[in-house]
Amino acid sequence: MRYFSLKRLGLLFMLVISIGLLVFITTHARAFSPGSGNPPRSISPNWDLAKAGALAPALVVTPPPAAQEPCLSCHILGQNKGLWTPLARWVLFGGLGLFFVFGVYRSANTWVTRSPWKPFTARVAGWVDSRYNLSEPLTKILKKPVPKYALHWWYCLGGITAFLFVVQGITGILLAFYYKPTPEAAYSSIQYIETQVYLGSAIRAIHHWCANGMIVMCVAHMLRVFIMGAYKAPRELNWLSGVLLLILTLVFGFTGYLLPWDQRAFWATTVGSEIAGAIPSIGNLALVFLRVGWNVTGETLSRFYGLHVIVVPLATVALMGGHFLMIRRQGIAKPL
Amino acid sequence: MPETEHAPEDTIPFFPDHVRTEFFVVLGVLAIVVIIAIAGLIKPVGIGEPADPLNTPLHVKPEWYFLSLYQILKKIPPMVLGIEGKVIGVVIPIILVAMVFLWPFLDRKPDKSRRVYWIRLAVSIIAVITIIALTIWGEVS
Repeated sequence: MRYFSLKRLGLLFMLVISIGLLVFITTHARAFSPGSGNPPRSISPNWDLAKAGALAPALVVTPPPAAQEPCLSCHILGQNKGLWTPLARWVLFGGLGLFFVFGVYRSANTWVTRSPWKPFTARVAGWVDSRYNLSEPLTKILKKPVPKYALHWWYCLGGITAFLFVVQGITGILLAFYYKPTPEAAYSSIQYIETQVYLGSAIRAIHHWCANGMIVMCVAHMLRVFIMGAYKAPRELNWLSGVLLLILTLVFGFTGYLLPWDQRAFWATTVGSEIAGAIPSIGNLALVFLRVGWNVTGETLSRFYGLHVIVVPLATVALMGGHFLMIRRQGIAKPL
Repeated sequence: MPETEHAPEDTIPFFPDHVRTEFFVVLGVLAIVVIIAIAGLIKPVGIGEPADPLNTPLHVKPEWYFLSLYQILKKIPPMVLGIEGKVIGVVIPIILVAMVFLWPFLDRKPDKSRRVYWIRLAVSIIAVITIIALTIWGEVS
C-alpha cells in the first residue's frame, strides 16, 4: 500500500484542484473580466454617444440601479430564494483561502523556527492564562468529582427542566419577533405565525408543548427531591429556590396562556384571576394588579406580555443561577 | 459538609464524564423537540375563536395545571362551618403551598432508615393521584 501514501494523495489532490481551478477560470473568464461590454440595465440618454467615444468619460451619466421590487415580507414567507447564496459562497471560498494561507504560514513558520507547530488554541489559551491565571481554578471547576449515584435517570429531571427553559427562551424570542401584544393585532399575529411565517407553526408547537413539559418535569423533579429527602439540612435554601422556580414556571404558563387572545385564553384568564380575587382581604388588590382594572382588557394583555417576556424570565434566570451555585457548593445529596 | 466527601472510586470527574452523560440526555430531549416541531408542521397548535368579552362560552376552564384548584373552588359548598366556601377553597391551597415552601424547616430530623422513603413516596403518590383525579374531573365536567 505504499503507492497510496499520504504524500502522494496530497500531490494528486493538489493536481486535481489546480486543473479544476484552471478549467473553471477559463470557462468563466467573462464573469471575471471587468467592463465586458454589457450595457446598463436602464437606458441612459447619452449611452450611445459614450459608447461611440464621442463624450469625455466625465460626462457619462452612470445609470441608476434598477428599482427593486419592495417585498418586505417575502423573506418571511420564504419566497426570497438565494439570499444566503452569496454568504455561503464567501464562507466556502473564504474559508478555503484562509486554510491555504494558514498552511503556507504554518509551513514557513516550522521551517524558520525549526520547532514543532503550536496550535492556535494553545497559543490563545496561553495568552489568556498568562494574564488572568484561569487554568488552575477552571481545572478545579471542571474536574470536580461527581458521585456515581448521580447517574441514575431520576437525577436528570432537574437538568431536563433547565434545558427546556433554554428551549423556551429561544423559541420565545423567535415568536416575539412576530407577535404583537395588542388586542387588535394579537390574534391575527398568531394566525400569521401559524400560516405564513416560515416554520412558524413548528416553533409555536415547540413553545406550546415544551411549556407543558417544563411544568411536568419541574413537578417530577420536586417529587424526586421530596421522596429522597434531599431537601433536608444543609439544602433548605435549595428547596426554597426550587419552589419559587416552580411558582415562576406556573406564572409563565398563566401569563403565556392569555397571549393568543382567543376565547379560551380570555376566559381562562378571567377565571384564573377570579381565583386570585377570592383570597381574603388582599383579593381585590391581587385581582386589580393582575387585570389592570376590574376586567380583562388590552391593558391586561400588555401587562401579561411584559411579565411573560421580561420580568419572569429575569427572575427565573437569577433564581436558577442561585439554585445551581448552591448544588455546586454542597454537592448532590447522598441517598440513604 | 461531611456527606459530600466521597471516596475517589465512587466519583467521576464533572468534565468530561458527567458532562458527556448530560449531553446525551440533552440530545434525547432535543430529538423529542424535533419530533414536536415536525408534528407542529403537520398539525399546528391552532387558535380558537377570537376573544369576545361579551360572549361567555359554555365551558370556561383555566389551564390544566390550575384545573384541580378550580375544581375544588367550583365544588365546595357555599357555606362551610359558618365560613364562606370560596374563601376556604382558596385559603387551604395557599396554606398547602406555604407548607410545601417551608417544608425543610418543618421536617428537620435527618433520615434514619429507608422507611421514611416509603412514607414520603406514599404521601406523594396520594397527592399526585388526588390532583390528577381532580384535574380529570374538571376536564370532563
